Amino acid sequence: MTKLLITEITRMGPAFCVIGLQREKDKIRSVRPVSATANSWMHFPYHRGDVLQCDLAPFCGSKPHIEDRVSTSGFEKDSAVPEPEVVTYLRKAEIACSLQELFGCVLHENKNGSGLFAKPPEAKRSVCGTVTQNLRLELCANELRATLALSSGEVLRDLPVVDRDWRDFIEAALAIHRGANRLARLERFLNSQFHYKVLSCPHHFIRLGLTRPYHDLCWLMLDTLIPLPRNDWLEEF
Amino acid sequence: MASIKVETHWWRFVEECFRREAGTQAPIPDPAQDLIETGVLDSMAWVSFLRTLESASGVSDLGTLLTERTPSFESIFQAFKAAQIKTQTEIPTGSPSQNADSSSTNPSITRTPTILASSCATVGSRTISSEDVERAFGMPESKLRLRAGIESLAYAAEDENELTLGARAAQQTLHAAACGAQELDWIIATSETHRGYPSLAAQLHSRLLARETCAALDVGGACLGLLNGLAVAQGLIGSGQARTIAVITSDVHSRIFTPGRVAGEFGGLFGDGASAFLLRAKNASTPQQSYALGEFFFGCAGQYAGAIRVADAPNGDLDVHFDGEALSRAAITRMEKVILDVELRSGLPRSSVQGLATHQPNPRLVALLAKQLDLPLDKFPSVARTCGNLGSSTCGVALDAILHSAMSHQTNHHGPIFLASLGPGLLYGGGWLVPA
Repeated sequence: MTKLLITEITRMGPAFCVIGLQREKDKIRSVRPVSATANSWMHFPYHRGDVLQCDLAPFCGSKPHIEDRVSTSGFEKDSAVPEPEVVTYLRKAEIACSLQELFGCVLHENKNGSGLFAKPPEAKRSVCGTVTQNLRLELCANELRATLALSSGEVLRDLPVVDRDWRDFIEAALAIHRGANRLARLERFLNSQFHYKVLSCPHHFIRLGLTRPYHDLCWLMLDTLIPLPRNDWLEEF
Repeated sequence: MASIKVETHWWRFVEECFRREAGTQAPIPDPAQDLIETGVLDSMAWVSFLRTLESASGVSDLGTLLTERTPSFESIFQAFKAAQIKTQTEIPTGSPSQNADSSSTNPSITRTPTILASSCATVGSRTISSEDVERAFGMPESKLRLRAGIESLAYAAEDENELTLGARAAQQTLHAAACGAQELDWIIATSETHRGYPSLAAQLHSRLLARETCAALDVGGACLGLLNGLAVAQGLIGSGQARTIAVITSDVHSRIFTPGRVAGEFGGLFGDGASAFLLRAKNASTPQQSYALGEFFFGCAGQYAGAIRVADAPNGDLDVHFDGEALSRAAITRMEKVILDVELRSGLPRSSVQGLATHQPNPRLVALLAKQLDLPLDKFPSVARTCGNLGSSTCGVALDAILHSAMSHQTNHHGPIFLASLGPGLLYGGGWLVPA
């Protein structure tokens, strides 16, 4: 049995992609449990910080998704770890300060429009943590996007935000029952209180990921944004 | 912002950008077709397509306008129309309600008024007493306090510099107006101490996460830098080239004017600080309690150019020529003249002002200026006394203090604000703000 600290739950279309941290001797590394038939889970009733017990078998995943492991049994919750402690472990796993270090390869700018991508054979991994100097979320035509500055000063623009909890939060903020001017109120929140709540949080941390190859390219996305949003923030705007 | 006038033009425009994203052979979809649901574009390609359109059209908030709408060509056309209407609703200066009208000098010009939407100032987090500064520079005891009136100086901490101080002020300014950095059309920065590249404006652009099509511009003028920046911003907004601009000052003297490099009588006067101002085109949603930019004027009194000169010496030192007596005389004379010119041009009596945001070479000169103008000293926010001369940020910190004091009073009858400053050369400039 393997103990896995769940750190990523991301939305991939209608399903969820899950990543956890596994301790291996004195190292902590990211592991992505996948089923024998799919890369994602249609139902995943657990949360970030949950420690799950599971059976994982080696899996010859194609680059750069070297973290893939096949889960041969169900998940069983063992315990839970508070958010600041999750970040403590994330800081001991894959981490980088500059664009090139993130996935061990050159990242390319989309010359036609927005976004950044890696070429699958060049990337050494598909997930990495980093510290940001600044971070901004915005809704662009219904799509949640992040723009951020790494500690190296390099700026990453228009990354799709796939973090399940943040996506749920945005959807809840725009729910019809919340009354008039929902979008304007949400934008106001993202442009003001968001900064205080997220960037001033002592355990603020993000993880970036690469999509599965699509037309031979893996696109950058924001997998995890910590702190996770709280439901009571919805009362503030 | 480029305006797109005819629908046929929009169609060609959208079609070209679509082909860039989807490929030259991709069939053009039906206008009402949901591009994502029908698989024409995935969500990443949809956003990428919109960013291309934003960049090419100059309609920088297209993505925002399309939120809660179907991802289709038809929605894009509607968003373009909405953007055009938004631009047209900005109130031209010629409207009777606008008393900050600078078109009085040229009635044929109709310009969009510029509103100061929010501001913030910050100073170096280390407070150093004037006695400690005198010791460090080897100056006679109490000279700074007695001769210049400086009680302490604000010095940057180890982890503070022009970028961090400027970014802190700018972020708080944006937050105060609930304005996202993505709304900025220009970042205008000024600093008399920042050296090297990328320039300060470019670094602030990256730190604030402004959108790529937001321009970054550095303006000079040393202590006159804020007024230069405000005037440039006013011109851009007035001509319709921009709607939202951040003007940022940031100066860290304590790392340049150090003991051993410059004399204490010069270096001991300066502290570190930053300020930021968010300027917007006036529109129907402009809050009642805000200030509008009036007119600015500038000049250069070359006869005083020799009073202060700072240059790099061949050995890496700073070559500073500082004739304190001559500069003080010139400063007082010229500042008084500038303020009297502001009064004359604006038609606003100086007795009615909320405050004066001026250059403050040192507190003694500020007191002297107040006396010459027969104004109470408390009309000049005390910046130099506790923080020192902050270069381009002195005016900024003072203006921010006046604005906050005005907004904290529960009355709608705020007075105008006068601006006046000087820079080596001797550059001078003045201007005013009036309640919007």
